Amino acid sequence: MHIPDGFISPQTYLPAYALCAGLWWMGMHRLRARLDEATLPYVAVLTALSFVLMMVALPLPGGTTAHAAGIALLAVSLGVWMAFLAVSMVLAMQALLFGDGGITALAVNALAMGFLGSLSARITWRLLRPLHEGAALWLAGWVSVVLPALAVALVLGLQPVIAQDAAGKPLFFPFGLRVTLPALLMPHALVGVGEGILTWLGYRYLTRLRQRHAT
Amino acid sequence: MMRALPLALLLSVGVPTAQAHDLQYTVTGGQAVVVRLFYPDNTAFSFESYEIYPRDGKLPVQVGRTDAHGRIAFLPDRAGQWRIRTFSADGHGLDFRLTTDATAGLSGSDKPFYERHARIVVGVALILGLFGLLNLYIRKRKRP
Repeated sequence: MHIPDGFISPQTYLPAYALCAGLWWMGMHRLRARLDEATLPYVAVLTALSFVLMMVALPLPGGTTAHAAGIALLAVSLGVWMAFLAVSMVLAMQALLFGDGGITALAVNALAMGFLGSLSARITWRLLRPLHEGAALWLAGWVSVVLPALAVALVLGLQPVIAQDAAGKPLFFPFGLRVTLPALLMPHALVGVGEGILTWLGYRYLTRLRQRHAT
Repeated sequence: MMRALPLALLLSVGVPTAQAHDLQYTVTGGQAVVVRLFYPDNTAFSFESYEIYPRDGKLPVQVGRTDAHGRIAFLPDRAGQWRIRTFSADGHGLDFRLTTDATAGLSGSDKPFYERHARIVVGVALILGLFGLLNLYIRKRKRP
């Protein structure tokens, strides 16, 4: 789901950077007081887990690949802002050091996966937790993959409309919404199943670990 | 005889037009730059779109789809830098450059700095290192 360089227009990534910069600043401001020596090891380990999960590509039917991200686990365990900043850090590292995901597309990737993924996971979990915690965790994981995929499909699918040359040829990503929506949503709906299980198992393990440390 | 003359003239005028529709071909061997595109699990990036542009050129010199093995065969006609863009409908793709020399052979290309497995180790080490530094900073800040 990492959008590479050259796929999105400046009309898209410049406003995305402006919005993302505001959210990064707000996130850091909010977390400054919350980060302490007890929280940091959890954040570090979950961020590293998210990074590893994003690097492990799973082959899918149709000759494509996708990956889990651990974003919902970060969001339900540590909150939206922490998850957003952790995922942004992972995406920035991948783009700057390893060429995975574009530098121009970093803000769009961070907004889709980091912010929308975390926010949707956290809201789903908070709303459904009173009904059934396991189902709430699973659905949080599923939503954290599918909603960002929808956002990325919209951003990519709108590029032919946003930026064209004089002859009407798309200057950036060439496929429209009719192509991008099924192409992104179908594989990620499948990946979301795995992400949901990972969120459920991971959260249970972390809760047990925290309880053991508390006693 | 006189009646046949206009017909002969008409046919002779029509010959070049007819030849223009007669598509022919030749087969030769040539030196091609072959780019293979694949996912980290070695699945080929097959039958996906690509475009090749000369350096700073806005019009592509070659467009098409990768073959079943995810390959692009490109025969550059001069030395220089070329930009290759590939994209699939689900948002995978690359935008990179390669350089060919005067004999149209490959002389350089963008390469990721780290190999896949090394990236995971380097990335995890970096993340843990950064959080370690942050931990030290927080301790220092809280010290009276």
